[in-house]
Amino acid sequence: MDQVIKLKKKRKLNRADWRTWVIFLPGILFVLLFTIYPILKMFVMSFFDWNIGFQATSPFMGLQNYVDVLTDPIAIRAIINTFVYAIVTVPLQMIIGLAVALLINGIKRLNLFFRLGYYLPVITSWVVVALLFRYIFANSGLMNYFLVDVLGVVEEPVNWLGSRWSALASAMLLGVWKGIGWNMIIFLAALQAVPKNLYEAADIDGASRRQKFFYITLPSIKGTVTFALVMLSIGAFNTYTPIAILTGGNPMHQTEVVLTWMYFQTFEALNMGYSAALSMIVTGLIMLVTVFLFGVTRGKKVA
Amino acid sequence: MKRKSIILALLLFLVVAMVGCNNDDEKVTIEFWHNYSASDGQVTVLETLIDEFEEVNPNIEVKHVFMEWGALKSSVVLGADTGVLPDVLRGDIAFVPQFQSLNVLLAMSDFEDYVTQANKVLDSANSSNLMGNKYYGLAANTNTKILFYNEDLLEAASVDVPDTLDELWTAVSSLKSESVIGMVEPWTGIWNVGPYIWSEGGEVLSPDNSTAEGYINSQTVVDVIQSLADLYQAEELAGPSMDPGATGDTDGWASSLYAFELDGPWRATSNEAAGINYGAIPLPEGSEGSISVLGGENFMQFKNSSVEKQEAAWKFVKFMTEEHAQVEMAKVGQMPVNLAALENAEAIEAMPLLPVFQEALLTAKARPVIPEWSQVEDIIATKVAEAITGTKTVQAALDEAAEAIDDLLG
Repeated sequence: MDQVIKLKKKRKLNRADWRTWVIFLPGILFVLLFTIYPILKMFVMSFFDWNIGFQATSPFMGLQNYVDVLTDPIAIRAIINTFVYAIVTVPLQMIIGLAVALLINGIKRLNLFFRLGYYLPVITSWVVVALLFRYIFANSGLMNYFLVDVLGVVEEPVNWLGSRWSALASAMLLGVWKGIGWNMIIFLAALQAVPKNLYEAADIDGASRRQKFFYITLPSIKGTVTFALVMLSIGAFNTYTPIAILTGGNPMHQTEVVLTWMYFQTFEALNMGYSAALSMIVTGLIMLVTVFLFGVTRGKKVA
Repeated sequence: MKRKSIILALLLFLVVAMVGCNNDDEKVTIEFWHNYSASDGQVTVLETLIDEFEEVNPNIEVKHVFMEWGALKSSVVLGADTGVLPDVLRGDIAFVPQFQSLNVLLAMSDFEDYVTQANKVLDSANSSNLMGNKYYGLAANTNTKILFYNEDLLEAASVDVPDTLDELWTAVSSLKSESVIGMVEPWTGIWNVGPYIWSEGGEVLSPDNSTAEGYINSQTVVDVIQSLADLYQAEELAGPSMDPGATGDTDGWASSLYAFELDGPWRATSNEAAGINYGAIPLPEGSEGSISVLGGENFMQFKNSSVEKQEAAWKFVKFMTEEHAQVEMAKVGQMPVNLAALENAEAIEAMPLLPVFQEALLTAKARPVIPEWSQVEDIIATKVAEAITGTKTVQAALDEAAEAIDDLLG
């Protein structure tokens, strides 16, 4: 009963307060114009053999574009590669980021030094570090020099970028390395917001460090974990630069991810309808994943 | 009172501003998109040429905009939708069919004096503008690929400069050593394997560009690709697109890793910058002669610019394809299409390899001028790479290529 009254009051207040709407309006317009409209337009485009160009006509294709995408082995491979990239890089960078945050949170000296050190990869340009990684993982690159000549663990240089999974592994390593700093900062902020008295109470009860982590720290930063999980998953589905620079989708489209393949179909092949359909499929997948992730994390909260 | 005077001052300002605008209106401003390279000093030369052009044509102003190759293409693709297009553009000959399919190009052969100007440039280069019975551009620069070799490496291994394609493959094999890879081929599209195929008498598509079946998978093409596959699998041929971990061609030349490469005029520039002792000859002959691939750039104009601007842009294009502008550009590495410029002593002095390129140009072949070409070439690049790396047999890979291309063209 209390809640209903509260809601009603709130709505009345909103309606009366026109200033709120004035403040919101630019933002709403911006989202409508640059997010909602393009998504709707793309949805429409995905059903046409969309021809851009002066006075171009675009015949209706029904679901043909979707059929084309789903029967295209390269598109399927790109979607699988993207999923693998997300499944590997997202948990890894979160776990390492959280570990680093816990370590930094525990120390008093050199705190700033470590924070800066771990955050540096985040502020460096994707293109620059991707180029660096390409040289590191080249056949005659630093990694092979290290493995063959310094450590001697392998006889022959490893052809890192020449085959699908090892090239993706290089890209994923780059993604994780570059993502740790962002996770660290986010988790560090969350950790500092955990009330100290909880730990004090736990100390009095004689809780172990493990217990403190699982029963106090983790539940307290759960919101941040969900946030990071969702943001990183969406980011992983939008990965482009590391692949474009490390391999360019080569060899033979083996390392293509969704965005690199979409770029090719849009700007090289001018298949706008195909690209729109591929975008819609990926948008759908991202939504499913997001809903799934929210469901999983919320489910835990109840339990 | 105060307010009135402010309004009056504002009005006066507006009038002056508008008069100013009106004066400007008599001047036609055209926008020119290009990818002349800034690092080779081509943009500086372009700016000088624009100054000269504006001096002769005081009522025309040329605003030039540099874009990378890829940006140039995607900007026109986007512009086809949004209407943001230049008045004139200078870009890859391969852009013409795609831009024409976007229906944005002006049929330049409709200009009264098009034929007069076209007669001043190389026919082979200008043929890349012909679609249907109209020309949608005018050749700006041309190039083709010739065989570059590292003289020091050949001498050290006492290998002679090859005269035939078979001799080339043997030379590539015998150059292989601990620190040398005989040859590098940066990609596997027709730009790369076309010359070998054509020189042995093979073809990519049927003469009317309607089918690939029986052409790209013919015995001749299979044999040519097989020779490349044998070299690649013996690690005598490097291919950075088939193995992204391989050393890129420019890095490889600079470190004397690669001995041979079939490449364009830019290879001379980069080899000189790296201080490499190199030589160059037209592609050694196969059974049907030496047939390289035609490259280069064209000037294109756009149909959505106003008639005034179209006329002004056409004047600019004519200026840029005259002997003077072409010789100036030759001095910074752009191979002329203007017939007089090709014979010009200054140009030849600036480009010592010009005679070699000219010889190769006599027989060079253009890639098929069809809108689907990017996709066709991607299919070929993928399938040829599968064949060369040994993922599939050559025949199987090329049969798949023929089928995929026919699906696309069908």
